[in-house]
Amino acid sequence: MRHQNATAYRFLTPYLLIFSIFWVWPIISSFLISFQATRTVPWRFAPTFNWGRLIGDPAFYNALKNTLLILVIQVPVMISLAIVMAVLLNSPLLKVRGLYRFAFFAPVVVGEVAYSAVFRLMFNLNFGIINKLLNSVGLPSVDWFSNVTPAMALIMIAVTWRWAGYNAIILLAGLQSIPDDVYEAATLDRVSKVKQFFYITLPLLKPIIVFCAVLSIIGTMQLFTEPFLITERGGPGGGTETLGLLLYRQGFRSLNFGYASAVAYTMAGLAIAITLVQLWLTRDPK
Amino acid sequence: MAAVTLTNVVKRFGGFGVVHGANIDIAEGEFVVFVGPSGCGKSTLLRMIAGLEDISAGEIAIGGKVVNDVEAAERGIAMVFQSYALYPHMTVEQNLSFGLRMNGNPKPDTERRVRRAAEILRIDELMHRRPKQLSGGQRQRVAIGRAIVREPQVFLFDEPLSNLDAELRVQMRVEISRLHKELGVTMIYVTHDQTEAMTLADRIVVLKAGNVEQIGAPLDLYDDPANRFVAGFIGSPKMNFMPARVVETGPGAATVELVNHAGARLSKPLQSTPPAVGAEVVLGVRPEHFFDAGKGDCDIAVKADVAEHLGSVSYVYAGAGDDELIIEREASRQRASGDHLTVAIKADKALLFDTKGARIR
Repeated sequence: MRHQNATAYRFLTPYLLIFSIFWVWPIISSFLISFQATRTVPWRFAPTFNWGRLIGDPAFYNALKNTLLILVIQVPVMISLAIVMAVLLNSPLLKVRGLYRFAFFAPVVVGEVAYSAVFRLMFNLNFGIINKLLNSVGLPSVDWFSNVTPAMALIMIAVTWRWAGYNAIILLAGLQSIPDDVYEAATLDRVSKVKQFFYITLPLLKPIIVFCAVLSIIGTMQLFTEPFLITERGGPGGGTETLGLLLYRQGFRSLNFGYASAVAYTMAGLAIAITLVQLWLTRDPK
Repeated sequence: MAAVTLTNVVKRFGGFGVVHGANIDIAEGEFVVFVGPSGCGKSTLLRMIAGLEDISAGEIAIGGKVVNDVEAAERGIAMVFQSYALYPHMTVEQNLSFGLRMNGNPKPDTERRVRRAAEILRIDELMHRRPKQLSGGQRQRVAIGRAIVREPQVFLFDEPLSNLDAELRVQMRVEISRLHKELGVTMIYVTHDQTEAMTLADRIVVLKAGNVEQIGAPLDLYDDPANRFVAGFIGSPKMNFMPARVVETGPGAATVELVNHAGARLSKPLQSTPPAVGAEVVLGVRPEHFFDAGKGDCDIAVKADVAEHLGSVSYVYAGAGDDELIIEREASRQRASGDHLTVAIKADKALLFDTKGARIR
């Protein structure tokens, strides 16, 4: 058995080597870098340099506030929307189901730059279709890119558009795993469709909903593309800057790898903490 | 408690007919079993009574009221599903009370009904467990309990025992029978197992390919089947069918010769006009209706292939292919494969069928 294991590990060596160099080492290295002052060469060990700055940095708190705001509003809205979409996709009354399934999933496969460019055009103050639609129902135009609140709303709308369908497809798989006869039994128990949804579908879908929520929380904690491309690097005036963007700005524009690493670990720590809290809150009673 | 009447009930899926005009009258408090092979339409028929399937034509009445356009929930029926269909995230108690709670039934009444169902089915100890913590038999009890708390006019059972092992199936069969006596409610039960049908039913409805072949009391179907299908389906082991030819006819009788047993002739009294001489027929004899040589109206010699000794009974399998016979005899306990034996057939215990399967009486 020991000989067999040795052979297996020999076959695994190339993968383990690459995994260690490009995955494990950067994770350890960035953790070590977060304890170094990297603004001057040579870097020097200074445990409180970056972490101390992080605690008192208004830019960090701004990015944290923006990220959490998006997390708290966008994730529940998107998951709720995804559940509704999944239920509609699962309806026996729906025709051309495959087409809808593809349409809902399509945003994920659209290039990020392309979709961001289209969103910028759609939400343009002067000729964007969204403002035209608002005007057509008597509402004034909104300057989506110059004011913080509309800009945040725009980020949330874009992220929701991009990922709701993806989550809906995962939830649809969960819905389809609930046996029909459970609903038939409920129908014979004189339970209305609405009550069936709240008392049967949602509880049975809970593990999938939690899974989608965890994925979304991790994704939102790392949110970068939309504030970078749609609201032009977290604009206006840092109003949509997220932790991901702050990390990028510090690491790749200011080349301050130490501080960027500290931000990265904070993001990862927060994502894990929020996920654990959520898993604890939604655990099954024994 | 309510009577159930099916009048010319038809079910088509697209252009494909599944049930072709079923006419069945089920009296109040009666235990009726729909039995037939897979795909015969028995479950579809049950689901149409439940209101889970629309009917393509015909009429279904429960308690004298036509329910074609009445929602499943309003038909006053309860159903026990093959897969139990318990709510997996609820405890046994919640499973039992769910329907009543959702409909705003007063709490004391809900508790009373749940307690009563739990007592009847002896599941009091399991009330706080979830379905995944229960055995198959316990789940089945909970599923039945959920039906009981509804206090329905009609109970429907869709192959409720097919997921249980043989021993548990026998035990649950007795329990369902006891339950019927205790509640006195109309029960309609679907199974493909003729033993279940024979042991449980007041009356059996035999179905084949969407047609009702025969309706009757278990022993009536056993003793007096309407056709070869019913004769073969009811009874275990199944009836033996031997090809034969009419060699002589007289007033009220026909003499047939067994094709695979040259010289074996049997004169069978008939109430109808006998078939013409030379006509091909089939002689049906149940395994338990073979007698010792010389003690019947016609002897046949066979060679035993396999002998099965089940303890209380023994079966000898003789011949092969079309000519395979299953013989139950006291003496067969001593038989072994390769033995030659001669058995007798009595005319009054043999049934005659034409080549299309219709009974010649």
